[in-house]
Amino acid sequence: MDKKLSEMRYGEEGVVKSIEGDLRNKVAGMGIRVGKKIKMITKQPIKGPVVVLVDEYRTSLGLGIADKIIIEVRK
Amino acid sequence: MKILLMGHPNVGKSVFFNRLTGSNVIESNYPGTTVDYTKGYMILENRDIEVIDVPGTFSLEPKDKAEEVAVKMLEEEKDAIIVCVIDASKIERGLYLTLEIIEKGYPVIIALNMWDVAKDKNIEIDVKNLEKILEVPVIPTVAISGEGIKEVVSRIKEAKPVKIKNIIKNVGG
Repeated sequence: MDKKLSEMRYGEEGVVKSIEGDLRNKVAGMGIRVGKKIKMITKQPIKGPVVVLVDEYRTSLGLGIADKIIIEVRK
Repeated sequence: MKILLMGHPNVGKSVFFNRLTGSNVIESNYPGTTVDYTKGYMILENRDIEVIDVPGTFSLEPKDKAEEVAVKMLEEEKDAIIVCVIDASKIERGLYLTLEIIEKGYPVIIALNMWDVAKDKNIEIDVKNLEKILEVPVIPTVAISGEGIKEVVSRIKEAKPVKIKNIIKNVGG
């Protein structure tokens, strides 16, 4: 099932399926690329950033950015 | 000759800077402590060399003010040698930035900082092989305790520009 990264629930895991256009280069430096394994760690309240596990390290993303990344959720 | 310390936020560039120059830049365990840059000097083979502590950046496409400063500094210092400080426990994304810098034609030397943290996490890195692939010096360091800093200094002169296509060939791509 595909969903936006911002819509993933705690503990859900998946693989990056697509990243919207010009955002691609911006998040690449944070280790987020198509095909990468992602796990949702924390969602901060009041539209705060999300914290995800990419491979073995954590990174945080603004909700606006997380909205533009599509994840194929696997478990 | 100038040396630029570059890397992601919160990998220990400022600690590294203090080790190299003997100065006392504020360090704290939050990403983005260095928003502006700091200059200092170190002596290498009886020459004064300017060392610049560049704010942390994830890539060469700036997303905020600190990253803009970082990218601008890199562009202004065409003859600089770049010491890429990478968090060894998050090596992959660090190498991404390193490759971007290599691609721009700068001579690079890589410090795999936080080597102790990587060891604690059971991360093994084949340094020799990495050197062979990237064709630049790669040195494990622990800036906090000073481990590896001397080796970085002694190998700065080995830094040289590398063609990306050589690296692609070396990884067998």
